[in-house]
Amino acid sequence: MNVIAKSVVAAGVLTWMLAAAPLGAHHSFTAEFDENKPVKLTGKVTSMKWGNPHAWIYIDVTGPDGKVVNWALETGNANQLIRNGWKKEDLPVGTPLVAEGWQARNGTPTANVNSITLNGRRLFAGTSNTNAQQPQQ
Amino acid sequence: MKRAFRRALIVTMLVVPFAALLAPAQQRGRGGAGRGGAARGGRGASEPVRRMPDGKPDLTGMYLASSSGANYGLEQNPRDFLTPGTGGVVVDPPDRRLPYQEWARAERIERELPERGYDDPTAHCFVAGVPRSMYTPSPYQILQPPGYVVMLFERMSWRIIPLDNRPHLPDNVRLWQGDSVGHWEGDTLVVETTNFNGKAWLNERGDIVSHAQHVVEEFIPVDANTITYRATVTDPVVYTRPWTIQMPLNRRTVQDGDTRRDDQLLEVACHEDNGDLQHLKEVKDAARAAKQEKEK
Repeated sequence: MNVIAKSVVAAGVLTWMLAAAPLGAHHSFTAEFDENKPVKLTGKVTSMKWGNPHAWIYIDVTGPDGKVVNWALETGNANQLIRNGWKKEDLPVGTPLVAEGWQARNGTPTANVNSITLNGRRLFAGTSNTNAQQPQQ
Repeated sequence: MKRAFRRALIVTMLVVPFAALLAPAQQRGRGGAGRGGAARGGRGASEPVRRMPDGKPDLTGMYLASSSGANYGLEQNPRDFLTPGTGGVVVDPPDRRLPYQEWARAERIERELPERGYDDPTAHCFVAGVPRSMYTPSPYQILQPPGYVVMLFERMSWRIIPLDNRPHLPDNVRLWQGDSVGHWEGDTLVVETTNFNGKAWLNERGDIVSHAQHVVEEFIPVDANTITYRATVTDPVVYTRPWTIQMPLNRRTVQDGDTRRDDQLLEVACHEDNGDLQHLKEVKDAARAAKQEKEK
């Protein structure tokens, strides 16, 4: 699979995973994440954790001071991903992305993601059907 | 062929989330949670109800409720930040509002505070209870061994329902899922459940039940792929009168080569990686500390 194809597949994986998050929630996302702490994170994928009750994407984000912080992005559960035919390798380590969302209320580098920008293309990845945008093919 | 397959995968990935997110709105447009529609991804609504050798309906298979977001509220609710809006599944009382006693409505509203998110038992991976187990957004499998209906929930709990009219457990035995006994009334499976421990929340918004909860459920087969589910809850500690919710349960199938087959139960080992719980606890602890500081 060439680089472009990998990126397209990764975009699809991200879109599905993040949009699926509220459908498989086992706890209140509103209770965990802070509407007053919006974040915009530019980084690269370091790993994925395919666990339950939620799977997580981890990205390294380099701050203005050069310090690298590893952020955890929460998604739906692993079973949802498996049922749709996905596996861990579908989102390669090193994939660059920009994530926008809200930070956890406890101030840790943890976020619920509203959108992902991959290769300059903003993908819907939110938790509401009110701002859904069909990605441009 | 490889390119076509990859394109199909990509289209699926991009379309499925939107279809799933928009489904509740589409369902409301067809007449609300009270209507049992065709199973999405099923074998078609025209197939008649399947039958067991004794002529009773064959309900066996994998199901998921089309619940208009009942896991986030049984009444109609607007979206609240990351908590999805809900279509409302209450069909009685006619105003589609839960008939809370005054104190209980106040408690229900307080449960929406961020610091109360920690108190939802499902955040701790506890059993969802009844009726919440039936509309939690994870699939479940129904089995019908002789004399029983058995429900296995992917979030790793179960209901074993004998059909022999046996008495319920002694009153001092209290369970998350309660004690269920069922019987057939024509083609409808009727299940009565008592002996609850009163600890469950009915959804993430915090709709309430107590130890006095008594549930009568009806599983009404519509066709081979759809069951209309009704649950009437009586709880005089919390409510002024009984109330009823209704929603379709849809058979879940998956594509397997050229054919579709029933989906397969996996597992949600919820304690494996429940990192959210520590976050929720810290939110609760911070709110408690702030309150104590204010009271000084």
